[in-house]
Amino acid sequence: MNTAIMNLLLAVVWVAVTGSLTVVNFAFGFVLAMVGLWLVREQVGTVGYLSRTWRLLILALLFLYELAMSAYSVAKLVLSPRMDLKPGIFAYPLRLEGDFEITLLANLITLTPGTLSVDVSDDCKTLYVHAIDCSDPEAARRDIAEGFERRIMEAFC
Amino acid sequence: MDMPTRILLWADAASMVLICIAFVLTVYRIVRGPTLPDRVLGLDVLVSIAIGFMALFAIKTGYALYIDIAIALGLVGFLATVAFARFILVKGAQASAVQDVVEEGDTPLGMTPRTAGGRHE
Amino acid sequence: MIEFVLSIVASILILVGAIFAFSAAVGLVRLPDLYTRMHAASKAGSVGSGLMLVAVAVYSQDLGIATRALAGVVFFLLTAPISAHLLAKAAHSVGYRLDKVSVYDDLQEQIDRDKPASDDE
Repeated sequence: MNTAIMNLLLAVVWVAVTGSLTVVNFAFGFVLAMVGLWLVREQVGTVGYLSRTWRLLILALLFLYELAMSAYSVAKLVLSPRMDLKPGIFAYPLRLEGDFEITLLANLITLTPGTLSVDVSDDCKTLYVHAIDCSDPEAARRDIAEGFERRIMEAFC
Repeated sequence: MDMPTRILLWADAASMVLICIAFVLTVYRIVRGPTLPDRVLGLDVLVSIAIGFMALFAIKTGYALYIDIAIALGLVGFLATVAFARFILVKGAQASAVQDVVEEGDTPLGMTPRTAGGRHE
Repeated sequence: MIEFVLSIVASILILVGAIFAFSAAVGLVRLPDLYTRMHAASKAGSVGSGLMLVAVAVYSQDLGIATRALAGVVFFLLTAPISAHLLAKAAHSVGYRLDKVSVYDDLQEQIDRDKPASDDE
């Protein structure tokens, strides 16, 4: 977090030094500050910063991709003449800990194809997920575990 | 009128037709029900379709002010859905409590002995 | 040239968004129970209105309008799953059951296990 503030501060300095306060110039300064922080990563101890930012970016891109796919699959299902539904609620054992991570995972699950998080058990160990195609709950569990849960762990733990 | 603007306005009109059909279908679901959560969900979808409609209108007329209205409507719609969800929870809990009382003693629905006595005092 | 490209992109965005909003409404009418309808509402609905707002952001060529529209999109994508989740949780805990075509209900099994002497009969 300190590194992010330093990055922002360096970008502000860049804007002040170049003397043109535009968004493009600020973004350029931000990237420049990032490169600078990367160059001195060994000396000031900001080794993990860039790779964590990169993983967050990957998570965001994955999210947008999954969102597009889920909207497409729902639209295709609904507009097809014969709907082949096997809905159901399955329990998903959580490996993540912490309220923020679980909330993030639940929201991501809701916006991915065919799944919708319904409830969390009181001890925060199990997530109940409604799936529109619940013929193979094991495969759905594996998808979540290897997709979002692993990436959230990489980005935040 | 130049070509790209004409294409844009054509796409806008076609989208508005689709959106209007979507409005009618959603209203059908709200009227039809059959349960309260279905109607709440219908209202939620109605809000998000209305937001899309405002975006179309902003492009058609060129007034950017519609975007602010759309954001405000989204806020209100979200809060309304949350409030309705709370309402369903509370109402459901009360309904099942009344049911328990009715099963134990033979008072008519909603007229538990305690509340009936309280009103007369 | 850039105007032309932006107009075409905005046209495609609003058409695709309208199709998604329309399919959300169709899903609301066609799908069998509350929980499956929620899939259509929370995914297709929010993506539909979101795409139309992105179209406004692309077409306006104004930084203030674009940031407001994109902030609106982010806001809707954040709130849509929360309201769907709240509504599903409320409906399920009050006792609206899944449709007969459903094949699986772990949550209901868990609730039945927690209070074995429930009034199922």
